[in-house]
Amino acid sequence: MNAIEIRGLTKNFGSKQALKGLNMTVPAGAIYGFIGENGSGKSTTEKLICGLMPSNGGTIKLYGKDYTDPDVRARIGVLIEAPGCFPNMSVWGNMMLQAANLGLKKPEEEIGKVLKLVRMEGAASNKFKNCSLGMKQRIGIAMALLGDPALLVLDEPINGLDADGMRIMREVLTDITKDKNRTVLISSHILGELEKIATHYGIVRGGRMIKEMTAEELDAGCRTYIYLQAAERNRAKALLSCKYARVEEDESDYIRVYDEARAEEIVSYLYESGITVSEIGTSKIGLEEYYMDLMHEKEVR
Amino acid sequence: MEMRFEKSSFGKRLSSMLKVDFCRMFTTRFLYIMVGICLVMPILILVMTTMMDGSVTVDPQTGVETVMEGFDNTWQAIGTVSSETNPMAMGLTTMCNINMLYFFIAVLVGVFVADDFRSGYAKNIFTVRAKKTDYVISKTVTCFVGCALMFLGFFVGTVLGGAIAGLPFDTGSAGIAGVVMCMLSKLGMVAVFVGMDFAASAAAKGRTWMSIVISMVAAMLLYMMVPMITPLDSGIVNVIGCFVAGGIVCVGLGAVSNAILKKTSLV
Repeated sequence: MNAIEIRGLTKNFGSKQALKGLNMTVPAGAIYGFIGENGSGKSTTEKLICGLMPSNGGTIKLYGKDYTDPDVRARIGVLIEAPGCFPNMSVWGNMMLQAANLGLKKPEEEIGKVLKLVRMEGAASNKFKNCSLGMKQRIGIAMALLGDPALLVLDEPINGLDADGMRIMREVLTDITKDKNRTVLISSHILGELEKIATHYGIVRGGRMIKEMTAEELDAGCRTYIYLQAAERNRAKALLSCKYARVEEDESDYIRVYDEARAEEIVSYLYESGITVSEIGTSKIGLEEYYMDLMHEKEVR
Repeated sequence: MEMRFEKSSFGKRLSSMLKVDFCRMFTTRFLYIMVGICLVMPILILVMTTMMDGSVTVDPQTGVETVMEGFDNTWQAIGTVSSETNPMAMGLTTMCNINMLYFFIAVLVGVFVADDFRSGYAKNIFTVRAKKTDYVISKTVTCFVGCALMFLGFFVGTVLGGAIAGLPFDTGSAGIAGVVMCMLSKLGMVAVFVGMDFAASAAAKGRTWMSIVISMVAAMLLYMMVPMITPLDSGIVNVIGCFVAGGIVCVGLGAVSNAILKKTSLV
């Protein structure tokens, strides 16, 4: 069963068309990494799924039912942009309010559990406005987790966090995605972090879904490359560029050869030209490079 | 993977929404500040106008003398009997009375509703609530209770103010029953204004100022009618009439608010 099934979704903001017939399929139990540039329509799609704005066309189904079904919607947890909390109220007060909103039978117990999960049990009495950005994001996740949601929608939960905040958030996300009965739709620009937890990916561009795939498909689709370090880097790069179609230099000053090539072949080719290779190996491109490649490909087309 | 979703009845959804709204209304300082203002205001009005009663001021430009007229009776701060009610009268006693609170309703409702949108709490509410009706009914009921407390505060303040100022408590032809019926009629009219102001707030969302301005303009249009509909010698007909009007406005404008919330962006 699919947790989310979107067909032909359109949304206009005045004369600007934000979504142009977006299709999306999120299987139940998936951790779906929703990727796209700024303004590509990620947040708009998430807001539409949560019923926070009306669409101009298309259908959204959640667990096979229309997204306006109150029983399904009661089981959605959301963190879109910033957490919806009253600044002058304590963290606990805000959580109690959300627990009442969800009609939870044992609110104190549930709140304690989710605050512990997001490592915020010690900050329950703090006023929300006095919390740091990282703490606020974790409170937002705790709120979204109240009532054991079947579907969790997280919009850029890592953005704007410092290294320590990001580390804690990564641990939190890993913990909350352990529950295999829960579907998580998570959008982020930090693809390296997303790659560690996502089981499915959707890449959106210009209001359209350009690629949907599983983590296995991504892995299979990611090309291998040979990286090497040579004594005369610039000459080595120039020589390799003559023989292979795509040769690049990465930020660590390694030369990368993306074509189908064998390491031995490269070493002997450079050796014949008087260049010694000090280090060579094979690796695979990650989600970030895959995404950049895909974007580049679409741009060229 | 088969997912089962618990059925939630309208009653269950509404009761949880009411719990949230009452919790918010009664745990924030704003309501108590508003009730406090409503309590103190009639005391200040009655005491000060009694102190200045009969004093003469002369305009230095024109030489025109103005005699300050205070309240003759404590209940004048609540209303006047139907034979004396003149909607066009612009005197101090006809303007500075309980009917002023209909403008205060705009502030209470505007701030209360706008807070949901400004804080982003609306996202939490509307994500798990597909039916906007729960929100509309709950907010209307909560705001009505909050505004009723403001009216009660003004009534208590009037009694205290009258006692402090030494004004008579003579109910005249209205009688105690008339005063009670007058207050009940005014409560019925509170429902009219709450319904109206909630619709304005639903349209304005996080823009408190816009909601208050729209509500104030609407209140001005109805303001002159209120003393006629709710005189001090009101009867059961006035009470029923006001509550029926309140119900009709709340249901009618509630449907409009529901449509606004459905058709517009909530974030």
